[in-house]
Amino acid sequence: MRAKRICALTAAAMVVAPAVLAQPGYEIHGLNGAWERWPNRAAGLGSDATPPPEEIEVAPVPEPPLKADYLEPWRKEQAEVARLTEQGLPPANNYSACIADGMPTMMQGMFPMEVLETPGQITIIQEAYNQVRRIYFDEALPPPEQAEPLFHGHSVGRWEGDTLVVETVGIKDHVRFRDVPHSPSMRITERIRLVGDEFMVNEMTVTDPVYLTEPWTWSWAYRRFPDYRIQEYICENNLYYRDPELGYQRLRVE
Amino acid sequence: MAVTRAAFVAAFGFLAVSASAHHSFAPYEAQLQLAMHGTVTGFEWTTPHIYIRLDAAGEDGEISNWLIECASPQILNRVGWRWNMIEEGDQISVVVSPLRNGEPAALLKAVRLADGSEYNNGGPAGPARIGFDGKPLAAAAAGGAR
Repeated sequence: MRAKRICALTAAAMVVAPAVLAQPGYEIHGLNGAWERWPNRAAGLGSDATPPPEEIEVAPVPEPPLKADYLEPWRKEQAEVARLTEQGLPPANNYSACIADGMPTMMQGMFPMEVLETPGQITIIQEAYNQVRRIYFDEALPPPEQAEPLFHGHSVGRWEGDTLVVETVGIKDHVRFRDVPHSPSMRITERIRLVGDEFMVNEMTVTDPVYLTEPWTWSWAYRRFPDYRIQEYICENNLYYRDPELGYQRLRVE
Repeated sequence: MAVTRAAFVAAFGFLAVSASAHHSFAPYEAQLQLAMHGTVTGFEWTTPHIYIRLDAAGEDGEISNWLIECASPQILNRVGWRWNMIEEGDQISVVVSPLRNGEPAALLKAVRLADGSEYNNGGPAGPARIGFDGKPLAAAAAGGAR
């Protein structure tokens, strides 16, 4: 029954237009394909940089609007990480342990990502750490405090015109963007849209009534990476370990 | 939030070390580069890093088995490396930055293979500032061939 329906709809889709997938009422919005974060920072992290489109202005992620009780400890920790790194003793972290970014960091992961639009779902694959994120449509977001904590959380999407709005809850406590603490009530809202054919912008908003005084907002941008094929990434040979005495990232030299 | 066609402000990292590489490069001596020549004893095409094991003389002239860290297969596939381009027994030259702690390990900057072809180590590791002969390079030539 199901197979027959798919066949029939596939045939219909081919007749109607390639932009219509085999499900009634579903339109492809043009996000499919490989993307690299933009602007690029270094060779090998994507294709060569191109002149910026006029609509996209580059700016740093602002400091998190942490409540006073949390802001100073966070600033001190950041300064301490910088000091130790300067000394050649960068503290071990999830990354050096080959643990994936999770959300929201993976949306500016270090390698290209692939977006797959299919009926009822958008899947985003970040090459680094083989990260996969699934955004479901036509379902309700779970109450944040009851959502099972995960790296990529639970994401529900909807289209508002040409803008993909995605809400995400349920991020593990130790999965932190820029080391910023968060509570189970944290919510990440993304507004994703194309800028011309070649660029895509993601307006990020993080809210957390426990830790933040106001929404923490910034935008990330992506450039289309035509014909790129996402590569395998499996951490099979991590020679870095946490130095048991000093806690820094140490290379196992044997 | 109002949707407009006005300027989108795209954020990018401030020295986001962890956002451009699997680990920080801080354990390596950033200002010091060495040119070494030796025999490959192993080539590990693995994630998160590729490693070359090389019998070569360090600054003190002693032959050691050096662990030479390269970027990842994902990065190096994108700048022209191939998984089988180095084999055990190959004679190669490298430009590296050694670990600060004196252990025989180093971060690759550039490599010249037995057939004379040259490769850099992708952008995050930074360019070679010396040639395979140990002499300073003009900035434009640093990093070896693409």
